[in-house]
Amino acid sequence: MRQLDTVIIGGGPAGLSAAVRLWEKGIRNLLILEREKQLGGILRQCIHDGFGLTRFGETLSGPEYAQRFISQVEEFDIPYITDTTVIDISVEEDTGKKKVVAASKDGLLEFEAKTVILTMGCRERTRGAISIPGERPAGVYTAGVAQAYINLQNKMVGREVVILGSGDIGMIMARRMTLEGAHVQAVFEVQPYASGLPRNILQCLDDYGIPLYLSHTVTEIRGRERLESVVVSQVDERMQPIKGTEKEYPCDTLILSVGLIPENELSLAAGVELDPRSKGAVVDEHHQTSVPGVFAAGNVLQVHDLVDFVSMEAEELADSVAAYLREDGLTPCGLSVMTDGNVTHTIPQRISGTEDFKLSMRVRRPMKDCRIELVQGGQVVAERRMKKAIPAEMIQIPVKAAKLNEKEDLEVKVVC
Amino acid sequence: MREYDVMVIGAGVVGCAVARELSRYRLRIGVLEKELDVACGNSSRNTGMLHAGFTYKPGTLKAECAVEGNQEFDQVAKELNVPFKRTGKLVVGFTDHDRENILKFKAIGEQNGVKGMRMVTKEEMAAIDPHAGGEFAMYVPSSGILDPMQYTIALAENAAMNGAQFLFGQKVVGMEREEETYRIRTEKETFSTRWVINCAGMYAPEISEMMGYPNYPTKGFKGEYFILDKKAGKYLGIPVYPAPNDNGGFMTHATPTVDGNVLVGPDSYVTEDREDYAVTKEHLDGLIADGRKMFDHMEPQYFIRNFAGIRWKRYDPETGAILDFLLEADDGHPRTVNLVGIESPGITCALPLARRAVKKLVEKEQPEANEAFQPNRPGIRRFSEMTEEEKKAAIQEDRDYGEIVCRCETVTRAEIRQAIHNPLGVHTVTGIKNRTRATMGRCQGGYCETRITHMIEEELGVAPEDVRYSKEGGYMFMGKVREEQ
Amino acid sequence: MLKEFTCIMCPRGCEVTAEVEGKEVLSVEGNFCPKGREYVLQELTNPMRNISSSVLVRGGELPLASVRLNGLIPKDRIFDVMAEIRKTAVDAPTAIGQVVIENVLGLGCDVVVTKMVGRRE
Repeated sequence: MRQLDTVIIGGGPAGLSAAVRLWEKGIRNLLILEREKQLGGILRQCIHDGFGLTRFGETLSGPEYAQRFISQVEEFDIPYITDTTVIDISVEEDTGKKKVVAASKDGLLEFEAKTVILTMGCRERTRGAISIPGERPAGVYTAGVAQAYINLQNKMVGREVVILGSGDIGMIMARRMTLEGAHVQAVFEVQPYASGLPRNILQCLDDYGIPLYLSHTVTEIRGRERLESVVVSQVDERMQPIKGTEKEYPCDTLILSVGLIPENELSLAAGVELDPRSKGAVVDEHHQTSVPGVFAAGNVLQVHDLVDFVSMEAEELADSVAAYLREDGLTPCGLSVMTDGNVTHTIPQRISGTEDFKLSMRVRRPMKDCRIELVQGGQVVAERRMKKAIPAEMIQIPVKAAKLNEKEDLEVKVVC
Repeated sequence: MREYDVMVIGAGVVGCAVARELSRYRLRIGVLEKELDVACGNSSRNTGMLHAGFTYKPGTLKAECAVEGNQEFDQVAKELNVPFKRTGKLVVGFTDHDRENILKFKAIGEQNGVKGMRMVTKEEMAAIDPHAGGEFAMYVPSSGILDPMQYTIALAENAAMNGAQFLFGQKVVGMEREEETYRIRTEKETFSTRWVINCAGMYAPEISEMMGYPNYPTKGFKGEYFILDKKAGKYLGIPVYPAPNDNGGFMTHATPTVDGNVLVGPDSYVTEDREDYAVTKEHLDGLIADGRKMFDHMEPQYFIRNFAGIRWKRYDPETGAILDFLLEADDGHPRTVNLVGIESPGITCALPLARRAVKKLVEKEQPEANEAFQPNRPGIRRFSEMTEEEKKAAIQEDRDYGEIVCRCETVTRAEIRQAIHNPLGVHTVTGIKNRTRATMGRCQGGYCETRITHMIEEELGVAPEDVRYSKEGGYMFMGKVREEQ
Repeated sequence: MLKEFTCIMCPRGCEVTAEVEGKEVLSVEGNFCPKGREYVLQELTNPMRNISSSVLVRGGELPLASVRLNGLIPKDRIFDVMAEIRKTAVDAPTAIGQVVIENVLGLGCDVVVTKMVGRRE
């Protein structure tokens, strides 16, 4: 069995960023495992621009952003295998060694590694998960699936379109389909606020005269063969449809952009503890999960708004993995990060109290003129004042070790 | 005009079982189906329960066939290579009235020949399954679970292997009796056949009338279901049913599936429309409330899909009473067998009913046996069910076993390829799904659907515009984004 | 007159409030950086956008190569430029940055490939 320092599961933006940084840090006995024919992950189908402003100081399309990292992987000759799907990760109890099993056309590949980096990304929430009532015709697609058909396979999925959910991919697909001659009637969002970024509302919807209806949802899907129409209702404050507000929209296509869920089936196989709030692993400030030597970053850990932050998170992870492998050891993280009702989740969930770290979080609902406070033992150790805070945006707050103690848990709260 | 000795109308579980049993004889067998695959109606829209037979009135065809079908199923599952687990069942009660009903049906079951039923206390229930609701229960050891879709496909494939021909997209619109033959008209063509067997399920009354029998009164009882993630499946090892009502009907129950998911449902309400498989908010909400009484992990976080089915029952218009299955063949209507009102427990009863139907033909004509009849169907070998050694060997034999196409259900390219080239010639997206489980997992095709449609095009050489989701008008694509100008 | 803008110059998406008179900007507020002011000015005079799409690839391992513009075009010319893109096809292999339409419709920027598509084996 091949012995490795690190196996990276997934060659999307997180995996690639981690690999390049590890290589630069002198960790060379590593391997990226990618299930697709090419590296790059979901970015291969995200052909719109707007990536890279933070990481590279210029705006790029998804494929270009990915290529920056792929080119470095090629240049350094970092080993990777494509067309290979990891099917199991297990941890040997006494030695702590990780066994990774992957299926490929050349057989079942088995690796033994000191560390495993989880960068599998996320998946889309489906019609079934949100239980949209009605019939089951062809023509109901999640935004990412429609995007793959249109941008990778050259297939048009529909002409008369309704979009449910104001996630960024949904809005981007509204524009994409409009540019390709489809008629996008409207975007409906069940929440009283948009779930995607304001710039996408402007440049993907407003620019093309596509209305966004907040507090609305699809309450029935009609059509026995191909989709014929959807019924849309207004919802009350508990997000229950209001009787009498039903309106039928004839259409042949319904695109769903109703949320992303970190893809953690392999993490569970490895025994990694998940956080029900983020749906990703519970990690400490080193991005280490509850299983020593198993690390996670990118959308498998928490759904990000920008790929730039995915890369940066994975690069920080790589620094920790390098330290772990060098056996300088990572500082134990005995303190918990707690949240109040205004915060959806935080990364990390565990800290040492002795080192600088960066806290990532999202707010549960839009808020104006608020202050995010990180409090330890009644002392505010970091804060961020915000004119507006929205759930669509991932908020990052650097925390200085000098302000922290190593005894008390940290609380994150939003004060209005 | 294509000519047959026997034409079976309807490729549900009963039609496919009839075709399979007919293929034991040297006959030219055709099966006409209005949809593009087998089991598109209620054969696939049910709990997948191999019923024991304790709720059916003694002496009825339902009772007789259910007990017979139940007892033989280990052998059937082995022959047809379909997943099946004899899990047993808990029929749970909360009140004294529940206990009375359970005991009443226990007695009926004993009369029907159901073996091993016994009452268990809450403590014993906990030992059988700690996640089951209820204060006491009847334990029925002979109940089992199967995948009704896989079972119907297996029956059909076995029939096809033995010579039966499946004709899809052929909706029967008329029938004329001639001297020695029947002419059956579909929307597309006319077929000639000596025998006709009506297995049209919900549409059996119309076919019955075309054959010259009465248009029997029937009505639909629709029920909705939730399918739960396999993550919830680990909490349920045995079907948990509430005590039957006074008529022997069961309301919402929780059933593990052979694949490790959980089904919660069905409820029951009257429908007039035989194509009304829509799910409704009202009923899904009801299932959430009722399902929680049966299963303590009935939570929205586990929902991956939902569906509806219709039990289309024959009833007495005078009294409104639900009637037994009808199987008839009389000399006034030569060379016909008429099956009407076949609903639950149709899966359990399919083969016993098929044997009885085929017997009518055999008694009249004594056809020659099909010497080449092969009762075993190989089916597609599932990668996810192989041991590590078997996986290695499978990939060595066929490299496509090393390419995972559906990650949630771990379905490989080799399995999809075999499904696309299935013996029945079905090539809808749902057809591939039902043969492999690809797209049935928690991401519902988010990862693999684009790959499957691409494979259908490549393997069969069809254009994207010709790929269908499940029905004739259910096209997936509307042209290309870019075309050479 | 006070006008609200969502700046799209970067993902931050600042909500900018500007005091405008005709096409003149008197003051801006809410922008994190100077680009916010630039953006408001542009929106008032001649809103500019970038677009991304795909062109057909002949003999490629993928049927399409993604493209974008290497500069901004007036918003009201988006569909004109799309019509040009629709007419265009390239041969595999493609390289990132490869110009497929130079100075599209004389608007001062090119349509460039953003994906490497190899030859079909």
